[in-house]
Amino acid sequence: MTETKDKGSPSLSRRSLLKAGLATGGAAVAGVAASGARAEGDPLITEIQDWNRYLGDGVDAAPYGLPSEFEADVVRRNVPWLTADAVSSINFTPLHELDGIITPNGLCFERHHGGVAQIRPQDHRLMINGLVDTPLVFTMEDLKRFPRENHVYFLECAANGGMEWRGSQLNGCQFTHGMVHNVMYTGVKLKTLLEEAGVKTNGKWVMPEGADASAMTRSIPMEKALDDCLVAWKMNGEALRPEQGYPLRLAVPGWEGNMWVKWLRRLEVGDEPWHHREETSKYTDLLANGKARRFTWVMDPKSVITSPSPQMPISHGEGPMVISGLAWSGNGRITRVDVSLDGGRNWKTARLDGPSLSKSLHRFYLDIDWDGSEMLLQSRAMDEHGFYQPTKNELRAARGENSIYHNNGIQTWYVQKNGAVENVEVG
Amino acid sequence: MSKLVKSLALSAAVFTTGLMVGAAQAGDADAGEKVFKKCKACHAVGDGATNKAGPQLNDVIGRTAGTVDGFKYSKGMIEAGEGGMVWDEATMTAFLIKPKDVVKGTKMAFAGLKKDEDLENVIAYLATFSSSAPADSSQAPAEPAPAQTAEAAATPDAASSSSLRESGIFKLGRVATQDEIAAWDIDVRPDGQGLPEGSGSVADGEVLFADNCAVCHGDFGEGVGRWPVLAGGHDSLKDDRPEKTIGSYWPYLSTVYDYVRRAMPFGNARSMSDDDVYALTAYLLYLNDVVTDEEFVLSKENFLEVRLPNEENFFMDDRSEEPHYASKSEPCMTNCKADEVKITMRARVLDVTPEDGGDDDAGVGAVD
Repeated sequence: MTETKDKGSPSLSRRSLLKAGLATGGAAVAGVAASGARAEGDPLITEIQDWNRYLGDGVDAAPYGLPSEFEADVVRRNVPWLTADAVSSINFTPLHELDGIITPNGLCFERHHGGVAQIRPQDHRLMINGLVDTPLVFTMEDLKRFPRENHVYFLECAANGGMEWRGSQLNGCQFTHGMVHNVMYTGVKLKTLLEEAGVKTNGKWVMPEGADASAMTRSIPMEKALDDCLVAWKMNGEALRPEQGYPLRLAVPGWEGNMWVKWLRRLEVGDEPWHHREETSKYTDLLANGKARRFTWVMDPKSVITSPSPQMPISHGEGPMVISGLAWSGNGRITRVDVSLDGGRNWKTARLDGPSLSKSLHRFYLDIDWDGSEMLLQSRAMDEHGFYQPTKNELRAARGENSIYHNNGIQTWYVQKNGAVENVEVG
Repeated sequence: MSKLVKSLALSAAVFTTGLMVGAAQAGDADAGEKVFKKCKACHAVGDGATNKAGPQLNDVIGRTAGTVDGFKYSKGMIEAGEGGMVWDEATMTAFLIKPKDVVKGTKMAFAGLKKDEDLENVIAYLATFSSSAPADSSQAPAEPAPAQTAEAAATPDAASSSSLRESGIFKLGRVATQDEIAAWDIDVRPDGQGLPEGSGSVADGEVLFADNCAVCHGDFGEGVGRWPVLAGGHDSLKDDRPEKTIGSYWPYLSTVYDYVRRAMPFGNARSMSDDDVYALTAYLLYLNDVVTDEEFVLSKENFLEVRLPNEENFFMDDRSEEPHYASKSEPCMTNCKADEVKITMRARVLDVTPEDGGDDDAGVGAVD
């Protein structure tokens, strides 16, 4: 890779420019406005506003509440060139607009292989068959009579960051890291259901299958199935969204999202893995030597600074600011996140804030006093097992550039003096 | 006679017959009918009874074990019949006490009846539907009320199936029937488990492929637009732009059969017959030069003889042994790089980000 020359003013979206206070001189304009406000008073304060005089909507204006109209930009986005057809495609969580650790249901990224199945819950069945004492069929009502649990788990697509293996390509953490979401699931332990059917001693693998037009299947080792997998029907307290597998999905905590089969209709127990399409042709990691890893289930420790980031430039000029980001590991809890302002030469340990839950997103903050100079922002996560996030070049040295999946390399954001931010790689 | 009256009359007939048989034998057929509720989830008996998860039980008394037409018995049950086992009061009693002790490997997932009177009564009840049963030989097989037959043929209810179960502590849900399992369990494994009977030729596959698949995958599996390329790419896995096809990358042929059968053609899944899927799989082998004979016919019998060339090049996840994970050393915090850090690559040079006016076709590393 060679250094590329700056060809002038950064290529930013209109929205980013607005947020950056029109880039050059934004801080100065803000300064004038501020001093003017001291003299005459801010009209937003000195004049009575419409919302202060007239009545707003009554209680039933929106029986299911929606975000403010001023948040219309906070939406999932798609990268059209990534896939052949929107029916078998992916979109991305707007991580740059979110805070805390929970992803709102309507913003959780989507990945379907045969479109969104629409299933009446009364028409849904879950079958357990194969190497079990008693093959069983459950209705949704049956499932809700089992002992229930609540857990917050991240779900990350193994291909999150897959477009960045050959170098920085997409400007925005929504696109580079947005194939992840984090919600609280309600459901029954998979272990409870398997025990109800009675797993035979030679039952070593479980194959979940979806009811949609792709009939998604994956092979899950019994040890994981009996450990923490959850058969879930709620997310963040309400029914699963159709695009997240309504009425029933599997949660495979810490493991790649493709295994979290949506519209879950069947669990087969077997003595061998099935080697189906999504664990052979896809979701295997091709290395530089032409050989490929299979069954790369765990999502390795990873982090990203969500603000500032290319879609969330600095709009306020120098002074106090919050560097905010997310960290997660499929191995368990995040114990530490370090942040660098100079491209990885020096690091400061960030502050983890909010709940620290196993296999959940963690929120970190680093509060700084920005002097207005350029920064090369990086974050580096470490999990409770002592694994920390590698650099992209370390990953490339070990795997080459054709792995597609499991790119958890350290991300670099180039913050310019005007507050604009760009996705870059550093030497 | 109106339908209702007829049905009432039949009910009365069953009741009467039951009493008569009950009187002639040790068991009480009427009481046995209640015991039979435990069996109804899997077995039907009476007029129009068909095989369910278990075989239909008309004329079971006096029948050789494992001989009901169209029922897929366990190996153990067929062998028992071949060994001369006939269902009579003695064999049936022993079997119903603990099925798995009498017929090793039986598919009957029923723990067994514990009470002697239950055993006697349910056998007496079954005898009323068996023309060769000694006490009942002069009578035509009795029929249960039509309403009951309909109920028995419908989805088994949770209450009756829960007592059939060896497993579980909540006894929620119900036992899946063989037909239900057969309808959904269509998965195929590399060892051939799950392959259906059937066959298909390269020539038939070519026609099917042109009609159903070529619109996305191209006439020769070369892929249209960003739809998956299915053929070619030999020796490309170490290239800058590897072409991962069935021939160049996929480890197992069973994956092709399984995937086409469950999910293709895109937007019309499960529309192909098992033979069609064999034919398409054969054609895909031909497109990938794994078979070169245009006359080749792929079948359940020869399926495992075909191996894909890249099978040996997959290995288990060993990421934890990569240097950056294996060391687990404390990461550097200060002066970690000797010189000032330089930018080596910028995303906006490629300019493929949506809303940045990026070119829709410029990206690399597509997800599919």
